[in-house]
Amino acid sequence: MFNKILIANRGEIAVRVIRSCREMGIKTVAVYSDADRHGLHVRYADEAYHLGPPKASESYLLADKIIQIAVDCGADAIHPGYGFLAERADFSQACLDNGITFIGPKPSAISAMGDKQIARETVKKAGVPVVPGTEGQGNLSDQALLKIAPEIGFPLLIKPSAGGGGKGMREVHQIGDMAGLLAASRREAESSFGDGNIYLEKLIRGARHIEIQILADQHGGVIHLGERECSIQRRHQKLLEEAPSPLIGSNQELREQMGQVAVQAARAVDYLNAGTIEFLVDGDLNYYFLEMNTRLQVEHPVTEAVTGIDIVKEQIRIAAGMPLQFKQEDIQLNGWAMECRINAEDPFQDFMPSTGVITQSLLPAGPGIRVDTGVYSGYEISAYYDALISKLIVHESNRTDTIARMSRALDEYRVIGIRTNIPFHQALLKNKDFLAGDFDTQFVQDGVLLRNEDQDDQCFPEIAALAAVLATHKRSQQSAVAIQGGMRNASNWKRASRWEQNKD
Amino acid sequence: MPATGNVPVDGSKTKTNMGSETYFANIAGRDFQIEILSETEVIVNGTLRKIDYHTLKGGSSCSLLVDGKSFEPNTFQENGGWEILLSGRKYSVQVEDERERQLRLASGESSPQQGRYVLYSPMPGLVIDIPVKEGDQVQQGDVLVILESMKMQNELLAPRAGKVSRIQTTLNANVERKQALLTLE
Repeated sequence: MFNKILIANRGEIAVRVIRSCREMGIKTVAVYSDADRHGLHVRYADEAYHLGPPKASESYLLADKIIQIAVDCGADAIHPGYGFLAERADFSQACLDNGITFIGPKPSAISAMGDKQIARETVKKAGVPVVPGTEGQGNLSDQALLKIAPEIGFPLLIKPSAGGGGKGMREVHQIGDMAGLLAASRREAESSFGDGNIYLEKLIRGARHIEIQILADQHGGVIHLGERECSIQRRHQKLLEEAPSPLIGSNQELREQMGQVAVQAARAVDYLNAGTIEFLVDGDLNYYFLEMNTRLQVEHPVTEAVTGIDIVKEQIRIAAGMPLQFKQEDIQLNGWAMECRINAEDPFQDFMPSTGVITQSLLPAGPGIRVDTGVYSGYEISAYYDALISKLIVHESNRTDTIARMSRALDEYRVIGIRTNIPFHQALLKNKDFLAGDFDTQFVQDGVLLRNEDQDDQCFPEIAALAAVLATHKRSQQSAVAIQGGMRNASNWKRASRWEQNKD
Repeated sequence: MPATGNVPVDGSKTKTNMGSETYFANIAGRDFQIEILSETEVIVNGTLRKIDYHTLKGGSSCSLLVDGKSFEPNTFQENGGWEILLSGRKYSVQVEDERERQLRLASGESSPQQGRYVLYSPMPGLVIDIPVKEGDQVQQGDVLVILESMKMQNELLAPRAGKVSRIQTTLNANVERKQALLTLE
């Protein structure tokens, strides 16, 4: 087993990995940019080393520097988390070349699955169904794509060949819009991944995004841990995930079928470690391979909750050469789990990112609650990294009780100082179609709307008006006290001081 | 349970020896007249309410008990008014005191659709595109500036039709929150 692991990441996922390492008695090394000196991962790790300025390209993406730090401090393995260097074949190769174990797949598997066109061709050969599109046809010009588009049919998606997370993706509904959208997609792909190549894919209407978690060891063992439902997305960014999927539910046959196809896809690239095969599933339960993520997923905790398996510990054991401790038949799904991604964005203002100091953070707790986060009261959210500040995961025996528990947890959660998308999740969890499990990947766009100022039992305009008036009044009392100085009116002073007593 | 609020208003019955203060709040066209009698008593649209108001550490949040019911409004000052987040809802509240109300009524209300509109950056970020130029006529919803922040590209849209009179930023500029980017006339 490893003695010391460097975590080449930041935020909640770095903290998450450190937790498993500590439980396994493995020493941990954090790395950080100027913006993250106060990050929780720096405070929790046994050692921490500075990388550079806040920009990812000058810190968390400095592969050589990170490997040099690992060599110098005697780390024998690197866990990449997700994002940054997690899906860079050259980084995996450089670790290998420097005698450091990369906790993830081999460079060849990252390359094969990282280029989405190659990935689709590879799994197609292994008998896995794929969505119609221009995959495997090379990097086509705008002119060629405009010509092919009507053959694929509308609506369709423009997708960058490199990267993921919805960046650079555009939906096209008619040929007239396409030229502008192609340019926008290339521009965003170029700035996000340094690669402006794109391809087209048919948009499957009413489709759900369902993915299978797999684990593969160095001894030929490959198992799946069931599915995750990830259809609740906005601009192709997942917002809420659950396991199992309400669509698959008790359909054990479909789960096993998709699980086996996922295992096949992993075997097709000689896959090692934890990975995820994403599928689109239509209303008739046809499923199509979308892509493989050759890393730990943000939403892995819902699978951990229902399987009882610590996926990060398994990743570390696999990387250390140990065989899987589980056979496929050992994997049982227990109850229901759900994750809400808490983002620093304002759901009332088109999900605009929100930055600033978190003046207060009060986490939900109690039975069945898990919070993975890298922030705390006093922490400053900068504009340099993504908006995810925490993941709220709950577990209960069935979907209805899980939703009730999640609602309770969201109501308890306080994040003061910045805006978060908690109100979005609260509204989503009250939506009839969501409660019925009846939704697809377009659901959020199609209008789970934040309802404002309308009438129901959670609507308190009078209290809101009172709160605004009291805040105004308190302010005028304070300024009156300041202006009046020693001549202050005694009762004003009494009021102002009372209302001030709890201020920091 | 304290008084449930349907007590008729009678200022002479209140125990306070402070001069009361009256405010007018408006939420989406609904008016609330709120008179603060003391630290513990207010009159909201003619109904006496027992309150206990404590701001919490961190400033923008408070614990507010109204006739025994517990609320935790989160208070932000935005665009000259208040934005209140409460139980997963957002309320935009305009508040005036008596003097401000008199002044406004005397001067006649001005429409926000007229005059100059300055687009301020809603967050720190990098200007990656400015699809308009000075002198352009834009429609409501047109993209004015594309700003990259938190690894996402955010399109800043025109809130109304108008002419771009001034562009106050440049391509690839790093801008701060609330920095002026562009002006519409």
